[in-house]
Order: sequence, then structure tokens, then C-alpha cells
Amino acid sequence: MIDIKMEIQKDRRAFIKNVLSGTIAGSLLMVIPAGAALDERLPEQIPGMRGDDSTFTEKKFAFVVDVTACIGCGSCCVADKNEYNVPDGNYRTWVERYIIDDHDEVFVDSPNGGLDGYTKPRTDIPYPVRDTFFVPKLCNMCEKPSCVQVCPVGATYRTEDGFILIDKNRCVGCGYCIQACPYSVRFLNPVSRTAEKCTWCYHRVREGLLPACVNVCPVHARKFGDLNDKKSEVYKILREPHVISVLKPSMGNRPALHYLGLRREVV
Amino acid sequence: MSVAAHGGAAAAAANYIFPNDLHVHWSLMIVLYPYITGLVAGAFIVSSLYHVFHIKALKPVARFSLLFALAFLICATWPLLNHLGRPERALSMMLTPNPTSAMAGFGYIYSAYFIVLLLEIIFIFRPTVVALRQKATGFMKTVYGILAIGSDNVSAKSLKLDHKIISFLAAIGIPMACLLHGYVGFIFGGIKANPLWATPLMPLIFLLSACVSGIAGIIVTYILLMKISGKEIDVDCVQTLIKFLWGFFILDFVFEMLELFSHFYMANHHWHTLETLYSGPLYNTFWVFQIGIFSVIPFFLLMLMSLIRFKDSLLLFFAPIVSIMILVQVLLMRWNVVVGGQLMSKSERGATTFHPMWLEKEGILPAIIIMIAPVVILWIIGKILPFWMDDEGVEAA
Amino acid sequence: MEKRYKSGDYAHVLRLAIILIVAAVLGIFARGMFLPDTMGQYGFYRGSDIEDQRNVTIRNQTNDACFECHRPIRLIHKEGVHKTVSCEFCHGPYADHIKDGKRVGKLPVKKGMEIKDLCLRCHNKVIKARPETSIKVIAMPQHLEEKKVQVTHNCNQCHMVHDPLLWIKAAYEMMGMEMKGDKK
Repeated sequence: MIDIKMEIQKDRRAFIKNVLSGTIAGSLLMVIPAGAALDERLPEQIPGMRGDDSTFTEKKFAFVVDVTACIGCGSCCVADKNEYNVPDGNYRTWVERYIIDDHDEVFVDSPNGGLDGYTKPRTDIPYPVRDTFFVPKLCNMCEKPSCVQVCPVGATYRTEDGFILIDKNRCVGCGYCIQACPYSVRFLNPVSRTAEKCTWCYHRVREGLLPACVNVCPVHARKFGDLNDKKSEVYKILREPHVISVLKPSMGNRPALHYLGLRREVV
Repeated sequence: MSVAAHGGAAAAAANYIFPNDLHVHWSLMIVLYPYITGLVAGAFIVSSLYHVFHIKALKPVARFSLLFALAFLICATWPLLNHLGRPERALSMMLTPNPTSAMAGFGYIYSAYFIVLLLEIIFIFRPTVVALRQKATGFMKTVYGILAIGSDNVSAKSLKLDHKIISFLAAIGIPMACLLHGYVGFIFGGIKANPLWATPLMPLIFLLSACVSGIAGIIVTYILLMKISGKEIDVDCVQTLIKFLWGFFILDFVFEMLELFSHFYMANHHWHTLETLYSGPLYNTFWVFQIGIFSVIPFFLLMLMSLIRFKDSLLLFFAPIVSIMILVQVLLMRWNVVVGGQLMSKSERGATTFHPMWLEKEGILPAIIIMIAPVVILWIIGKILPFWMDDEGVEAA
Repeated sequence: MEKRYKSGDYAHVLRLAIILIVAAVLGIFARGMFLPDTMGQYGFYRGSDIEDQRNVTIRNQTNDACFECHRPIRLIHKEGVHKTVSCEFCHGPYADHIKDGKRVGKLPVKKGMEIKDLCLRCHNKVIKARPETSIKVIAMPQHLEEKKVQVTHNCNQCHMVHDPLLWIKAAYEMMGMEMKGDKK
């Protein structure tokens, strides 16, 4: 094994050259570790998920978005698009930018759902800016989901452990769930012509992995965990006296997606 | 509005719609669907006014309106099938209707209504069909044979039973027509996420506008068909239809305005979204066309025609005009509800735009084809069954 | 005098009733035939869809998965201030690279100004990303001017992308100076 630090200290220029030309990387072009499956070799991100073959877990999952932490980089959006090959122009998750000026006027935008990040400042704010922040959006995983209520064929449903999923083999593509969702997280996939939305990465969670967006967030603004696990971060956050809210509480959908530090301007 | 106070730029900047709300999912097809079912329900009500409530003046159109309803009912599912992402799975609605879904009932309500309508037509036309069968030859003889359910019996005893069944079917047909269309209204009215739709008045408004459009549709086609065939128009019948049209339209228009006024008066946070919608993207289609031109003018015209005894020629001149205006009003109302409701983003901060294309799957051309189809079907039905009583070989019960 | 008919008085009603009953029975039979097997197993949905949902392909992996092979970079990336940045954010999803333990494709390495664009997604001061405490934000080209380098410089000319402070710290060490705040 090459000690990188030693290499660098020896001759930084040479090292970089080597790295760039691929000689070091090339010489190390490693044999992929074989044997146990990938998910068995790597550490479990959600404790107690691996080897759980029951249809429904005994867990009570919650998602917490820390509005005060999000930097609007859009890593989550990129990861989400990669995970599901989401067709362009549709969004399973997106990040909104809120700007509030000192006349209480609220300016919101989300160019391409935040997928390309926020690289340009807004120049159309007439008054000095009072506050600006980012709000990531995704499926609220309601306890009383409107989408499940209205689906005419039972293609969208709520599992006993709280995931709202869509059976893409049964969805007729009527779009009623899209109309019913108060949070507009659903869209009609133009390829499969069925409804689609964020699943909190059900397939990953069941393998002990965090949702793709949570996994990539560099500032830990997205948190996911089990409320039945008193050691989990989400449990601690919801237990402590933070400013915590859900979106559109008056809808009565009782989301399992909580926002930490949510301002009232956020819809 | 506070946004407008800061100038156009700020107002435009405040227009934020959720990224998934850019696309209007329910477009022309879903505008046509309640429009067509409305025509069906309304035409059936006209027939029931004669068959159940014994409004004798409506006798000339009582049978025709049933056939009119059937022609449109056959096409009611077409826009839906064209709209579905996976139309091949459409029967799942019958296979696994979700008991909590407002939409899932459609398959069964539609089928039940179809059966009732078909049975009523079979029984009402049976003596006619039996007579026609005797005269017919070849293929048409087979058709009449099927329509007569293979029976040639028109004895007083059998007609008496038929009559009882007709009364029964017409009677249960009224609540079913109301259910069919009130239910279509509920599909929209039950969506709490959409402030334009979510009102308990929605089924009522849909039902009343259905009656209005059905009556207007009957007036137009009756006068038109009579003019084409050179037959004499029953002025008394038209006059009665106009009176009913006015009555239903008063209720319809009042409830439409009442719904809007309640939103305006209560002015909760939803009104601010609705206000931008009505003053912006819906200004022309709602205020100028639906209300200004196609509600107010027919309203006063109908009032005059109902209260003052017009000369026959004048009545027959205005009746189709006012009816066509009402038909347009109802179509505009469907558009403003269905499309208008989706223009507002659930972000409560802005509206998207929608312009139908001519040739896309759910575009204008398919919409026109679907609206012409019932007329063609009605013409075919007219080749088989006589629209008007005086054409009959045998006088009905 | 009553005319004689071939059919009975109520024959048509009976026939219609039979047709309706047969249609209903056929409908019920067809429903039983086409109903998905696991429909209603757990609720009003196809129970076996849970299994289908679990079998969706995992395309993004964790940084640990990348580090299994890419050892040299692991040592830098895991120790530096960019340790929370996902490999896949810049390089693309794991599944495009490895499938069933075999290499199936080459993931892109960002080059030239693509690197700068990526850096500025987070470290851009003009965006006014609120929590300035969690990341360092800079304005361009003021940052380059402040550091007295050419304004055409790319970020990775001073900052090792996997640990932006690695070379900076090394330089300070070489010069025998202490860094402001001495960030780890």
C-alpha cells in the first residue's frame, strides 16, 4: 500500500502528475473485493434492518429536514435522479429557495427543481433581503394520505410501517392521486405512463441503507430514522424542544416528514 | 393585492409553482367527460319530466331525449379511456374498485345507469319495434328481433306490465341520473388539496349545470331535426322546455355565483390564490365569456321568453340561440373548473398556463372527434328507432 | 278479439332477466379470474408489490462502497473537510460502474471548469446560503484576488478536491506558519 501522505510530502508535483496520468491509480486498479455481497461487507446505516425479512418492519420511520442546515447544493436531487433515472422535468424531490425581503414579500424559486444547484443570485428582489433559506421537498408519507384515499384501483397504498408506495403494475395512470396530493410530490412518468413519487427509498431502507438523498447530504440537513429507536437522531430531535412543523398541517394529512426550523412562509 | 403593489416585476417573481405542477394533467378530455355525462343526465331528466312527472307538453321529445341520452352515454367513457395513461388497465376500476376512492364508483354507476337507460328504451320502444320487425327484411329484421328480445307479444296484458316497468325504470332513473352526475361533481368537490374544487356545492353545481345543458341540447337538436325533416315544430313543447331551462338555469347560475361569493366573503387564505386565478389566467374564460356573455345574456333572454308570450316565429328563432349559448356556458364552466383548478399551483404562490394543442393525444382534434361521435351514433340510432311519436306504426301506451 | 302471439305475454321480461343474471354471474366469475392473487393480502392493494418494491435496484451506494477499492483516495477523502461529500455526487452512481461485483463502466472524472462549477454549487457566497457556519463560502473572483492568484485559476489548482485544505495545510506546515482557526 502506498502511503499517500508520504508520497505527497516527498514530491507533491510528481504525485499529482502521477495521479492525473493514472499511473498510481492504474497500478492500484484494484481487484474488486469478492466473497460476501456488498451489503454484507459494508456497515449498516439503519440498525436492525439487515436480515429482516418480515413483510413489514416493526419500525416507525420518520424523516426530518433541517431547514437551517440546508445549503441548497442539490446533491440530494442529483442522487435522487441517479437512483431512479427520473425523467427530465419531473421531480421526486426538489429544493426550493426562499428569499424574504424587509417588506415581508416572499420570493420562491426552484429552477429545474434545484437539480443544477443554485449558481446564480436572484437579482429581482426590490428591497433589502431579510432572510434566505432553502427548503428540500419530498414525499410527506402521510398517516392519512389523500393519494391512497383517492386511488380508484388500490395501486397506491400505505404499508404498515408507514411507506406510501405505488404498484406500477396496477396503476392506470388516471392522475387522480396527482390532483389529490396537497404537496404536489407526484407526477405521471412519461415512460411508464403511471404515477410516480418519492418512496423514501424503500428498497434501500429495507437493505439497511439510508435514502439516497439522506446519504449524500453533505451538511446533514436530511435525517432519516426510526422513532421507536430511542437512540436514533430523529427520535432525539422530535423529543427535544425545537421548532418543528409539518407542511400544510391544516390539510389533516399528518405527515411523517418533519421540518426543523420551518418558517411560516413555507407552503 | 400586496404583490401587485410592488410592481409587475415583483408580481412575476412571486409566481412560484411547484416543479411538478407545471403540467396540467387533466385537460380537454376531462373537460369533456363531465360535459358529456351532464348532457346524458340532463336529457334523461327531460324524458322523466314526461314519463314520471307527466308534463304532457314534453311528449314530443320524451322518447327522443332517451335516445339522445343513450348516444352520449355510449361516448361518455371515450375521453376517459383516451386520457388514461394505461387504458388497457381500465377494467381494474371494475375489478378492484377502491371503496375510499371517489373515482372508483364510476365503473359501476356508469354500468348500472347504462343498463337502466337501455332497459327503459327497450321497453318504451317495444311495441314500435315489434311493428317494425314485421315490415323489415334481412339484417334489419334480425336487429329488430334482438331489440324486441325475440318477442312479438304486444297484448294488452304484456303492455300493462311493460308500462309498470317503464314507470319503475324512469323513477329509479332520476336518482341514478342525479347520482351519476352529482358523483362526477364530487370527484372534483372531494379534492381538499384544490381550493377551487373543494366545496360541498360542487356536486350540486355539476348536477344543475347538467340539467341545463341536457335541456338546451334537446331544444337545439329537436328544432334542428324538425327543420331538416320539414316537420312541424311543437311550439308548446319548446315553450315548456324553455321554461324548465330558465328554472334550472336560475338555480345553476345562483349556486355558481354563491360558491364564488362565499369564497370571496370568507376570504381565507385560499381566496388569495383564487383571486389571482380569477383576475389572471381565468379572467377571459370566466368573467368575460362564462359570466358576461354566456350567462347574463341567456339569463335575461330566457326570462323574457318565459314571462312574455313571444310570437311563435320569434320563439323558434331565439330558442336555439339561447340554447346554444347555454351549451357553451356549461362547456366553459367545465373548462374553468377542470382546467382552471389545475392552473393554481399547490404552492399557493402562482399559476401555470395551459393552451391545448390541435394534434396531441388529448388535444382539440380528438376532442372534436369525441363530440361528433355521439351525433353520428344518434344518427345511426335514428335509422333503427324512430325519434318521434308520429312515425310509429303502433301507438305506445 | 285478442290476436294470437307466438311468444308469451311475459317472455321478453323473463329473457331480459335471464340475460342480466347471466351477465352478472359472468362478471363475478371474470372478476375472480382476473383478480391479482395477493390482492387484499395486507390491505386494499396487491400484497406481492411489497416484494417488487424491495427488489428495485439500488443504484447509489455509500462512500464506503467506493473506498473498498479506491484506497488511496479514501485516505484523503475520509480525513479531509470534504468527508461528508458523496463520491457519487461528482462521479455518478455506483451502479453505472459496478454491477454484480464486476466493472461495467467507467465513471467520469470532472475536468477543467466543470470542477469550478461543482465547487461553486456549495461554496458560492452570492447565493447567500444561510448556514455560513457549516461551510466556507467565497465570492468569485474576489477570493482569487484576495489570495493574490490569477483570476483565471481553477479551484483545484490550490485545493485538492477530495480534501480542499490538504495542500494549504501542507504549505502552511512547510512555511512553519499556523492556519487561522486551525480547522481540521
